[in-house]
Amino acid sequence: MNPAAKLVELTIDGTAVSVPQGTTIFDAARTHGIPIPTLCHQQNENPVGVCRVCVVDIGQRVYAASCIRQAEQGMTVKTNTAPVVGVRHTLVELLMSDHPSPCARQQHSGDCELERLAEQAGIQQPRFARRTTPRGHDDSSLAIAVDHEACILCDRCIRGCDDIRNNWVLARRGKGYQAGIAFDNNLPMGGSSCVSCGECMVSCPTGALTNRSAVGTKLEGGALDIGALLGLPIFKNVSGTFLELNSHAIVERKFRAGEIICREGDFGATAFYLVDGKVEVYLSSPIAHVKTEGSAKGFLSKLRSMLQSREQDERTEESSRVSIPIDAPVDLPYDHPIAELGPGDLFGEMTCMSYYPRSATVRAKTDCTMLEMLRNVLDIMQRNKTFREQLDRTYRQRALDSHLRSVPVLASLTPDFIDHLRNRVELLRFTPGQVICTQGEPADSFYLVRLGFVKVAQSRPGGELVLAYLARGSYFAEMSLLTGTPHMATCSALDHVEVVRVPGEDFQVMLDRFPEIRRKLEEAAAEHMEQNRQRVTKVADVTVDQFLNQGLMEAQSLLILDLDRCTRCDQCVRACADAHDGVSRLIRDGLRFDRYLVATSCRQCRDPLCMVGCPVGSIRRRNTLEVIIEDWCIGCGQCANNCPYGNINMHPFPVELDDPAYPGRRMAGVKVKATSCDLCLDHAEPSCVYACPHDAAHRVNPLEFFGGLLKRQTVAKSGK
Amino acid sequence: MFEELRAIQRDFGYLPADQLKALAGKIHVPVSQIHAVASFYPHFHLSPPPKVDVRVCADMSCHLRGGDQVRSALDSAFQGTDVKEVSIRDVSCLGRCDQAPAMMVNDTIYAHANGRDAVAMAQDVLAGKPLPENHHSQERMTVMSDPYKGSSEYAVVRRLVETRDFLGIIAALKAAGLRGMGGAGFPTSSKWEIVRNAPATPKYIVCNADESEPGTIKDRGIMENVPYLVIEGMITAGLVAGAHKGILYIRHEYEHPKEVLQQEIGRCYKQGLLGRRILGSDLAFDLEIFVSPGGYICGEESALLEAIEGKRAEPRNKPPFPVINGLWNQPTVLNNVETFCLATVILARGADWFKGQGKNGSVGVKFVGVSGDVVRPGIFEVPMGTTYGELINENAGGIPGGKQLLAFAPSGPSSGYLPASMTNLPLDWNAVAAAGSMVGSGAIVVCAEGRCMLDMALNATRFYRNESCGKCVPCRVGSQKLVEMLKGWTEGRTAKEDMQVMDELSLAMRQASICGLGQVVPVPIASVMKHFPGVVEDHIVRRSCPGGICFS
Repeated sequence: MNPAAKLVELTIDGTAVSVPQGTTIFDAARTHGIPIPTLCHQQNENPVGVCRVCVVDIGQRVYAASCIRQAEQGMTVKTNTAPVVGVRHTLVELLMSDHPSPCARQQHSGDCELERLAEQAGIQQPRFARRTTPRGHDDSSLAIAVDHEACILCDRCIRGCDDIRNNWVLARRGKGYQAGIAFDNNLPMGGSSCVSCGECMVSCPTGALTNRSAVGTKLEGGALDIGALLGLPIFKNVSGTFLELNSHAIVERKFRAGEIICREGDFGATAFYLVDGKVEVYLSSPIAHVKTEGSAKGFLSKLRSMLQSREQDERTEESSRVSIPIDAPVDLPYDHPIAELGPGDLFGEMTCMSYYPRSATVRAKTDCTMLEMLRNVLDIMQRNKTFREQLDRTYRQRALDSHLRSVPVLASLTPDFIDHLRNRVELLRFTPGQVICTQGEPADSFYLVRLGFVKVAQSRPGGELVLAYLARGSYFAEMSLLTGTPHMATCSALDHVEVVRVPGEDFQVMLDRFPEIRRKLEEAAAEHMEQNRQRVTKVADVTVDQFLNQGLMEAQSLLILDLDRCTRCDQCVRACADAHDGVSRLIRDGLRFDRYLVATSCRQCRDPLCMVGCPVGSIRRRNTLEVIIEDWCIGCGQCANNCPYGNINMHPFPVELDDPAYPGRRMAGVKVKATSCDLCLDHAEPSCVYACPHDAAHRVNPLEFFGGLLKRQTVAKSGK
Repeated sequence: MFEELRAIQRDFGYLPADQLKALAGKIHVPVSQIHAVASFYPHFHLSPPPKVDVRVCADMSCHLRGGDQVRSALDSAFQGTDVKEVSIRDVSCLGRCDQAPAMMVNDTIYAHANGRDAVAMAQDVLAGKPLPENHHSQERMTVMSDPYKGSSEYAVVRRLVETRDFLGIIAALKAAGLRGMGGAGFPTSSKWEIVRNAPATPKYIVCNADESEPGTIKDRGIMENVPYLVIEGMITAGLVAGAHKGILYIRHEYEHPKEVLQQEIGRCYKQGLLGRRILGSDLAFDLEIFVSPGGYICGEESALLEAIEGKRAEPRNKPPFPVINGLWNQPTVLNNVETFCLATVILARGADWFKGQGKNGSVGVKFVGVSGDVVRPGIFEVPMGTTYGELINENAGGIPGGKQLLAFAPSGPSSGYLPASMTNLPLDWNAVAAAGSMVGSGAIVVCAEGRCMLDMALNATRFYRNESCGKCVPCRVGSQKLVEMLKGWTEGRTAKEDMQVMDELSLAMRQASICGLGQVVPVPIASVMKHFPGVVEDHIVRRSCPGGICFS
């Protein structure tokens, strides 16, 4: 209050009051102990006078909104005459008639400001008709739940976002009764430029914007002082109230040198931010794949599974990757999978955001201090400008080289060119479902996946065909850039994705400067194109939805059981177990088509769900569409869980492991590795087929086999 | 911003999300703000429009003259058609009330629509044929009070530049008693004087040519016939108030008046009547036309200013008033087309001439539009004091088909309806106010016998509901609930507390809404309940509609 300000004298409810010029009627009344109810007004925001609940009678033609109307000399204000109270009652009743009572806030803390006013006014059943057109919910943000139904358009969130935090994400949308709030250009909150500062939520008077509590139990460890957190630059501009609501979702953890922080394959829900100290990131699983060996002679020869590295046993289309992607800012070298992280580094993002198993083991190299957090706090941090910039900078300086060179075709990039790219690339984040590039649109960038999984799908007459799930270290959009054609598929974020965008012009410069890369990319592109063409032809040939839906059409080779002949003797299952160290990869169960049971063995699905979520990206498709599991599988079992047909099995192997009790020493242990049915490719016939005493098991080409069947069915149908 | 948005819409047919994003980067405005604005105005499409977008006016005059039949002919012809192909919707008043019913096909307006032609036109467009020309049927009107008799002389400005007697202008307007003709009736001389005396600069002159209330067409006639009087009024106001910039805010459906004005403005620049040195003097005034992105609410003065500033047209809380905190928060004279026109007339002919024009004890002349159930709907220039009976029966040729008059609205939905027994009422600010209505913008809408007044009240309320900006609760939610309640009455859904609820809701809307729109929403039904209580009772108690219109 400016002491030099001129005073104005007025009467409020019969009381003479004197306030500095410029004071609103609302404040004049409030400071003199006369409370006026309001919904849209709060002290830290500029008044807008939209809810009209605070109207008062000032002896004019119409009432005035006291929150915004300034007190004038000689004014006579009546705040509680019967008509004024009546009007206020009607306004609350109008809002209540469309309010989902009790709203989320009322349910949670009983303090929805609208419902409280309604209760005070004795409004139980609003006499107005309810809204019939739903306004919707938005659960896309990890930190804040949006219930548009509960929104009363008081504009408090908008002012919080725009005027207080200067983020300018929130605004009104639409007009009249259809008006609502919108994030950016009406995006889901989680997909908008919202920085999760929480100001809108702490400003909201109802349950329209509420805190989404973190999934997972309360974290153990040192509880943090909110003031101290707000002091960290990575929490700059975050609402304190909001952090307080999420205080159980972030803790301080201290580790002694040598202590294990997390293990590969473990499930988790947290990410770690290294405040102080150093950690080592490494893989303890043997870098080798499951090899099944046996004699090709003799029908009953027993197969044996063993672990062999790619040097020992080179398979078709063997990967030549030199580094292993993990859930950290660095990749691990294939030959010696170990790396170091330091202060300011963040790891475990994918585990935290998308609940994937831990991709590597992390051990404190020195004594260190970390912030361990659940996903809504990580979301707040990741959306914070300061923190984003820090992550960005670290990535550009430290990880970009290795990340680029980890892609085999880009291995020949020279350091000076990577330096050039360092300041040209852009790190972009996408929320689940968000489209990165759209089929049919011109390509202007080359993308490298840094975090999460990118779904590559083509829209086809028969529906969407998933061409691939790209994990960290994969790239896309190169084909369109090479050929100058529009994107051939739509690439979208399957989960929380971060990509490195290389502008098209830099990509062209790269092609011109490195003919070797161009040649390799062109070769790879030609190959992809041919595969796609083949797949598409296959899809075009087979149009029976049922057949497609069962996920059979993509298979190169299917194991089928003729149910007319099968006596359910399970000889096939036993034979498979016999052939694979006692672990059967065959389950006599599966989809039926006509009189055939398609036994469970990898059927190279239209949508290869097994590939989603491999924390180290060690599962991929061969060109034949079969699944191949790379050497650096950490045995977490994610793919086996994901496969809807149970075709991936976890095979245990005895190995030597680090002894956690005695750092440096080794101990005997068991490691599992994923493996899928290889149809006994080493053999003339799979052992299961051979073992069937009833001639019910066959290995067939599905198109030839079922194609004929389908044709017969279709003809029969149309003949009716 | 609107020009940028219009350019995108011209190129793409709508406003694609990535284009909005790109625009945000280009003009350094957050995309949320651009979306907030683009989603507010019906003129902008945020998704690809259908191949054929047919919109039929559903408001008062068109409702009376067969708009519903056009709509239902289209509905049945295109039943089951993919909405991406053909979309048939209602649209708010297009300003063709004298040529009702009006419709719009892919943003081109057609007057005197009928069901058969509308269906054929939509089918043609769907088949890829071009839209037919929309013949502009402008009736030349001889404006009796035009001091120049059709030639633009700008004598008032010429004299003012010479004499610089700015105070004389204010005095003359005061002597003539000129009041704002947009509906509110605030003394014009005071507005000009306050802005003249305001210390802040720059100042602005804004002309409100956004007449969008159903039945209101008089400004269109003025702009088409005597554009020079309006422009001269604005220049005069600019010189008197010390403003160097004028903006004429015109609704986008008025393409022809806009062209006429644009030509006249061009002529003025050529003749030195506009520009940096008016007639060689050191006086300056620039004038430009701002085409409204659409919506009745833009006619509310503060919402109009918000629109010019590139924002959502949401009315401001008043005070402060535009005379002090107007466009860009600067002192602003904001008058209606007719006010600027009559100011010129008064200044050219003298206040005494103007005062001598009225009859039956009233003062001045007024432009009115008469539409609805009349033989010759149109725009008329009449002495104040002319009775509504004279306007309906003489100027507009009476009721067609020898029918009796049932009711008339002196000023569109906002004045409410008066019964036939009140046709002796003169066109006089005080007399009409005393009768519980208002002269307003002179949008006289006539209902013949056989009309259902409850249906007419619902029609008017629906218009307000559709045009509510949504800023404040009483109007945003109240107008919707009121429509639902009235709709219930016309369909046999009533509750015994309805009358009580209606009273409470009306009071809340009237007393607590930010702007005039929200405050007048209850007026149509209140007038029907007052003057036609039997009609309401028939619906509620006897479940019957005297006009045979409801319960179908």
